[in-house]
Amino acid sequence: MKNTLRQIAHSPKFMIGFCMILLMVLSVFIYPLIVPGNPLEMIGLGTFFRPGTYVSVYDSVSTDKRYVIKLSDAAEKRLASKLAPEDREVMKTWLLAFGLPEESIDLENTEELLQLWRNTYDPELRFDNMTTAVRKHVQRTDAKLDSLLTDTDIIIASETDGTLTQSGAVGANDYVNVSEIANVRVLPLGTDNFGRDVLKEMISALGTSLLIGLIAGTIATVFGLALGLLAGYVGGIVDDIIMFVTNLFTVIPSFVLLILISFSISQTQRGTVTVAVVIGLTSWVWTTRSVRAQVVSLRNRDHVNLSKLSGHSLPRILVADILPYIASYVIMAFILQISSGILAEAQLSMLGLGPRTTTTPTLGLMMYWAMLYTAHINGAWWAYFPIVVLIACVSFSLNLMNTGLDQVFNPQLRG
Amino acid sequence: MKRWIWRAASAVVSGLMLFSAAACGNNQQAANKAASSAPAVESQEATVEPTASSEPAATSEAAESAAPEPTGVIAELPRNETLYFGGQQWDSVKGWNPYSSNNNNALAVAGNASARLVMFETLYMYNLLDGSLNPLLASGQPEWNAERTELTVKMNPDAKWNDGTPVTAEDVAYTYASHLKYETAAGVSFGDFIDTIEAPDASTVVLKAKLIDGNAVNSYQLEDYICRQYVIQKAWTETLEARASSPDAFKDDPAEDVVSCGPYKKYYADDQKVVFIRDDNYWGVALWGSLPAPKYLAHAMYVDNAAQKVAFTNGDIDVNQQFISDIQNLWLQDGLPISAYMDEPPYGICVTMPSAWYNLKSPGLDQVVIRKAIAIAVDYDAINQNAMTGQSPTFAQTPRSLMNPTEGEQSMYDHDAVADLQWVGNDIDGANKLLDDAGIVDTDGDGIREFNGQNLEYNACCPEGWSDWQAAMEIVAAAGQKIGINIETNFPTWEIYQTVFTDGDQTEYDIFMYAGDGTGPTYPWRRVRERLSSEFIGQKNNWVGNFGGYSNARADEIIGAIPLETDPDTLKALYTEAVKIYLEEVPSFALMYRPELFHAVNESVWTGFPEAGDGDNIPPTDCTDGYGIAALYNLKLVS
Repeated sequence: MKNTLRQIAHSPKFMIGFCMILLMVLSVFIYPLIVPGNPLEMIGLGTFFRPGTYVSVYDSVSTDKRYVIKLSDAAEKRLASKLAPEDREVMKTWLLAFGLPEESIDLENTEELLQLWRNTYDPELRFDNMTTAVRKHVQRTDAKLDSLLTDTDIIIASETDGTLTQSGAVGANDYVNVSEIANVRVLPLGTDNFGRDVLKEMISALGTSLLIGLIAGTIATVFGLALGLLAGYVGGIVDDIIMFVTNLFTVIPSFVLLILISFSISQTQRGTVTVAVVIGLTSWVWTTRSVRAQVVSLRNRDHVNLSKLSGHSLPRILVADILPYIASYVIMAFILQISSGILAEAQLSMLGLGPRTTTTPTLGLMMYWAMLYTAHINGAWWAYFPIVVLIACVSFSLNLMNTGLDQVFNPQLRG
Repeated sequence: MKRWIWRAASAVVSGLMLFSAAACGNNQQAANKAASSAPAVESQEATVEPTASSEPAATSEAAESAAPEPTGVIAELPRNETLYFGGQQWDSVKGWNPYSSNNNNALAVAGNASARLVMFETLYMYNLLDGSLNPLLASGQPEWNAERTELTVKMNPDAKWNDGTPVTAEDVAYTYASHLKYETAAGVSFGDFIDTIEAPDASTVVLKAKLIDGNAVNSYQLEDYICRQYVIQKAWTETLEARASSPDAFKDDPAEDVVSCGPYKKYYADDQKVVFIRDDNYWGVALWGSLPAPKYLAHAMYVDNAAQKVAFTNGDIDVNQQFISDIQNLWLQDGLPISAYMDEPPYGICVTMPSAWYNLKSPGLDQVVIRKAIAIAVDYDAINQNAMTGQSPTFAQTPRSLMNPTEGEQSMYDHDAVADLQWVGNDIDGANKLLDDAGIVDTDGDGIREFNGQNLEYNACCPEGWSDWQAAMEIVAAAGQKIGINIETNFPTWEIYQTVFTDGDQTEYDIFMYAGDGTGPTYPWRRVRERLSSEFIGQKNNWVGNFGGYSNARADEIIGAIPLETDPDTLKALYTEAVKIYLEEVPSFALMYRPELFHAVNESVWTGFPEAGDGDNIPPTDCTDGYGIAALYNLKLVS
């Protein structure tokens, strides 16, 4: 036993997989301590905020500690962020439509361009050959121009009884130190369509998914193991009946079965555990078949016959004399069952048939909502891509563990 | 560069998602079907000025001469002569029969107050922007008699069927008689209000209301009829009658030979596409001053909303009736030539009020205090921003009432009188206090309050695939969790959903969503009736309103009194009282405002679509509905 464990510990594949899983399990427990709060809390008003650091404007403006930093390229950067090349192009389009000669428009010389624009632009004018989309783009650009090229302070005022009182001013060279701002929220993976912190939700969902995988894997393995042991060892009519049922289930694709069962359970009762149980109950088949095959080969070994002659009971023979020989295989099967359980939940949820819980996030549900709000078309990658990667990682690490164990236990692979 | 990487990643993941997307497709289709079949707009008189730039594009004329005879179908539609629609038609067309309600032919037959006027035409075109009735097959404004029991409409002498025969008053009368005789959907819904439609002479139509104590049961319904119901040719109806062996056969006939009078005729339809071709002999040139610009109207069928959105952004769809979350990103971020009716939120004219209905048969929901507690705990800003992505006026802008956000309806009740009854939402403390004061508390320590010893546990339902509704229900459920009421969401498919919530005896859904109609001459009276009338209690197949079984005797009186009232002040008082009842008793509560039709356009090929403030007064009804059809005469090719 000790030797086996040592061998396992020396299997790089197993250890890498194991460390990955361990890391994920740890993060499930530790991350909520770092960022506390309800993972389903809708913090953002609006959909799909980009990943980044969000600094409270209110706090930044009202902070006492303000620093003056003079950077030579500040004005240029500010201009670039407000007046993109597309905006300049659209200004040119308007000026051309207005009838100005092309050579009089210099897009590079911002000051001149703005001067020209101020002298020419009339929001009331409509040109026949200009589409609404372009005209509206021009209007939006024009609105942005007001604050450009001015280095006057922005006045902050507070309102009491309809009168404004100046309470401060913000200059173009004023800076704040982010660490001194009371409210800064880092959203490493942005928010989803409900305005929830994706990273926080995802790690919480990972916990749920691992739990589902564990329950589903345990059920499938226990169920499959028990039936496989019985069928293989007892044989005869018992074997026939069990294998008949097993073969029946083998020819029905288990995912179809899973969909049908999930669909027939009323949605309100479809909690995390229920779904895990359903997944477990539809994926025991191949465990049964493989266990049975192994047991058949063990059935007539000498030590088993001896045990039988000694009058040991059926359960004892199964547990004490047969199970130890197939334990390594069962553990490997168990690991794969966990992996497929997690995948099955994700697939079910994406079809809208997963756990319907308002209180618990799951990876599949996150994908479901991302898809419903077309995150994959909007370019809101943070709402689905990390989840895809995470599911792949879970699956990959479990499979890696399985391969590692296989190399230890399988005499054919043992080098 | 970065963008490309993510585009590529998106493509891969989209592939992965395909399987499930396909599975959701049907629901979304159903959702859209329902959305597009929802009625809308009102109409009034029409200063139908032939709008300025309505001559067909020169290129299309050139192509026309080269085009094959209309009898032969050309394989590829010339892009610069075709206006492509999206979001209206799902699955293949079943028929062209305007008497049937089972055509699945969204572009040809749609029975809204703003009727779809591509192929068939109504007497008047409703304009939801100002509630005006604009004459189409009629001429001048309809006239009431002194008692408001008879409505007289003069026919437009220019109007012709596409077989060249004139559209007469007799056609109008015979249409209604047939609706009644064969108990079509229109016959059933108008039968209680309109007694007969008569044609004293070829150019005069008189609609006679059903009477109660000498007054019309509901005179609004007569105005509704003239802008909602198509006029169908008498001669063709007789042909149909001759070949139909039973009333059902009459309604189920696919009517391939139907005679219409609209600017477009059917061209071809299969399971991929439905195409209409302009009738170049259209009588309406006399009315509009020209033919509509596109020679063809086409609608391709997409597998789901995502596929359709991609087609729209690629410029394969010109006019799109689809809820697109964060639509502004299409022009702000992606720089696409796409625009909505308005450049700022809510981007369109919101006229319907998708609401959460309480099932009063569910334990506890018969209690006003529980209904109100849930309603005030809901975070409406989150619904507005996260579910609707800002495409709805907020309740701060348009306080909740029985009126939609249009100015006309808003002016019909006294805002100040009900100001104290409004709630801001997300008021968790207020909701908790309300429940605590009423003695509805958690006694067994499981975190959920009990009423009569029973935990308050509800489901919140809406159809699967209706993304903004689903998100709204999630937000309602989240509110419940915060005030000790366990609400779980439940999203059945539309096929199942519609059979349950329309059944007056159902106990399956506790809190569920439905929008109801939008606008029309019968509004806002109709919305008061939808929200408060006890006539719907226990009704099977109830598609109108009060799905939860709410009953209030005074509300019923008001609903009966409003149609008979002509004094504006009394009318306003009645409406205000109805709003008061609605806000005090909360039989349902609005979650958002929403357009009846989403209207977004891609100007890759065509331009000149209606937009807010352009002075044309053309409503954003996808260039097809009610007075919105006028937009087709304004279109020009992008140069």
